[in-house]
Amino acid sequence: MHVLFDGRWFLVRGRFLKRSLLFLLTTYLLVSSFTLKTNAESINQKRYVYDEAHLLTDNEVAKLEALANEKGKDTNTAFLILTVNGIDGKGYIEYVENFYDENAPGYDKPHGNTAILFIDMKERDVYLAGFQKAEEYLDNNRLDLIQDKITPDLSNGKYFKAFSKYIELSHEYMGYKPGVNPENILFKWWFQLIVSIAVGAIIVTLMAYQSGGRVTVNARTYMDSNKSKVLNKRDVFIRQTVTKQRKPSNNNKSGGGGGVTRGGYSHSGSSGGKF
Amino acid sequence: MLFQYKCPDCGNDMKFDSESGTLSCDACGKHENIDNYPEELKTARFTEDEANEYHCESCGAVLITEAETTATNCSFCGSVVVIADRLSGNLAPAKVIPFTISKEEATQAFKKWCRKGLLTPKGFMSADRIKGITGMYVPYWLFDLNSKVQVDAECTKVRTYTRGEYIYTETKYYNAFRDINLDYVKIPVDASEKMNDELMDKLEPFPYEQLKDFKTPYLAGYIAEKYNYTDSDLLPRAKDKIKEYIESYIHSTLSGYHSIHYKNKRINTSSVNSSYVLLPVWMISYDFNHSEHIFAMNGQTGKVVGKPPISTSKVSMWFGGITAGTFLALKCMSFLMGGGFW
Repeated sequence: MHVLFDGRWFLVRGRFLKRSLLFLLTTYLLVSSFTLKTNAESINQKRYVYDEAHLLTDNEVAKLEALANEKGKDTNTAFLILTVNGIDGKGYIEYVENFYDENAPGYDKPHGNTAILFIDMKERDVYLAGFQKAEEYLDNNRLDLIQDKITPDLSNGKYFKAFSKYIELSHEYMGYKPGVNPENILFKWWFQLIVSIAVGAIIVTLMAYQSGGRVTVNARTYMDSNKSKVLNKRDVFIRQTVTKQRKPSNNNKSGGGGGVTRGGYSHSGSSGGKF
Repeated sequence: MLFQYKCPDCGNDMKFDSESGTLSCDACGKHENIDNYPEELKTARFTEDEANEYHCESCGAVLITEAETTATNCSFCGSVVVIADRLSGNLAPAKVIPFTISKEEATQAFKKWCRKGLLTPKGFMSADRIKGITGMYVPYWLFDLNSKVQVDAECTKVRTYTRGEYIYTETKYYNAFRDINLDYVKIPVDASEKMNDELMDKLEPFPYEQLKDFKTPYLAGYIAEKYNYTDSDLLPRAKDKIKEYIESYIHSTLSGYHSIHYKNKRINTSSVNSSYVLLPVWMISYDFNHSEHIFAMNGQTGKVVGKPPISTSKVSMWFGGITAGTFLALKCMSFLMGGGFW
C-alpha cells in the first residue's frame, strides 16, 4: 500500500516535471523570438562611422563600427555617426537631410531605418536625427534626451565615449514604446526593486505589529453623538494675499526639431546645440 | 465573610453557567435564576479585623488568597468561594458583564486564533501547550467624561487660477473659532495592577448592552479581583485615552481649510460619572520554547490579544514573497506602459 502510494506520487511528480519543462521551453522560445527577431547583418549598411573631422583613431572607429553593427541588429536600425569640419554656411539640418538623400543609408534598405548623430567641429554644433523607424522610436524628445546626455562628453573632447553612449542610449530608448518617456523612473529596475523591498518590509512589519491583536475602537466608539457638537463657531475673513507666477512656456528652442528632406523623407530631430 | 453556593437540592457546589446565564449545579443539573438573588453588599458593612482569615465552609481549610482576590476556588477541596467583604461598601461593583464564552469555547477559539497566525512558528500554531486557562473578572472603571473645547485658529484657503500668461495663487486667511461640547461615555480603564494596560486596551470594545446589575453569584466558579486603583487615580489615564479623539474631532470641524494653525486650544475635561464594573477576560498562559506567553481573550466577544512568538523563517518567507510579487507587478506595469519588461 505504501509502495503504491509512493509510486503514484512519483507519477504525479513526473507529470509535474514534464509540464514545467514544457512551460520553460515555451517561455524560452517566446522570449528568444522577441529578442532575436532579426539575426542577419545589414545587407544595405556596411559603414556606420563617417569621421570626416578625424576625431577618432582607427581602432576606435573599428570598435564603434562593431558596436553599431551589434546594436543595429537588434533594432533593425543603422546608428550613423557623422563628423565634419565646417559645412559651408549651410544649416546643419539641411546638411543631415542632404546626407540622407544622397547616401541612402538604412539598416533594412536604402533610405531605411537610420539614426544620425551629426557633429560640426567648426561651429561646435551637435544634432541628432531619426528616419523611418527611428523617426517614430527616437522622436524629438528622446533625441533631446540623448543630446543632453552626450553634450558634456563632447565638450570635454571625449568623442569616443560620447559616440558609444549615443549608440547605447539610442538602442535602449528604441526598446520603449513610442510616446513614453524612456527616462521615467518607473522603468528603472533599481527603483522597482527599492519600491518592492519597501512594500515588503512595510507589510511584514504591519503584520508582525498586528499579530498581537489590533485596537478596534475608534473616536466614535465611546462618543455620545447626541450631546457632542459644535456649540458656537465663527469664521472671520482677515486678509488675502495673491502671488503670480509666469506660466512655464512650452520651450520652443530655436532651430532643431524634425523636418522633411528634399527627397521627401520626413524625420525627427533633436533641438540641436553647441558643445 | 464568605459566600458559597450550595445546590438546595443536592448540596453540591453551584457555578455560574455562561451558556444559560444562570447559577447551575453540575451534579443534578439544577438552574437558579440569578436575578432572584438578593444583593445587600452595597449596604453591608464588615468589620476590618474579620477580613484576616477565611475558612472554607466545605472543608474547613484556611483559604489562601491574595489581598485583591474576591472570588476563587478553595485550594484544598476546589469549592467555589466568593469573599463578600471584599465586594462590599466602596468595593461593591455597580455592574458586571457575565461570561458568555465557556472554558471549552475559549480553548477552541484560542486554538483557532493560533492557527490563523501568519507569522507564528509552526509548532505554536497547533496550540497544544496551553498551560492554563483562567476565567477572570477584571476590575474596570467606566468613565463618563465631558470635554469643553474652545479653539482659536488661523486657517487658510488656497485657490489657484490662470489669467493670460500668469498663474495666480490666492491665499485667504481666516480667524476661526470653535466652541465644542464633547461627551464620551463608558470609557473603560482597567483598575488592576497585575493587568498589562496595553493588552487590556486592545480587548475593547466590551458589549455594554450586556452590563448587568452586580450579583455575587456571577462570580461563582471564576477568579475575581477588587480594584487596586481608585477612579481618581485613573482619571488621567481615561483623559489620555480620549485625547486623540478630541483632537481628531477638532480637526474635523475645520475640514474646509487647507492649512490650520492653532493659536489657542483650551480643552477642559472633567469626569461626569465613574462606575466600578467587572468585565470578563479569559487569561491563557501558553508554553512555547521554554518561555511563557500570556494571552487575554474578551469573555464576551472572543477577541484574542497578546504577543505571539514570531518565526523568522516565516517573516522572511512573507517578505520575500511580497517583495518578489510587487517587483513582478511593477515590471508588468512598466511593460504595459511601454517600458519593456527588462
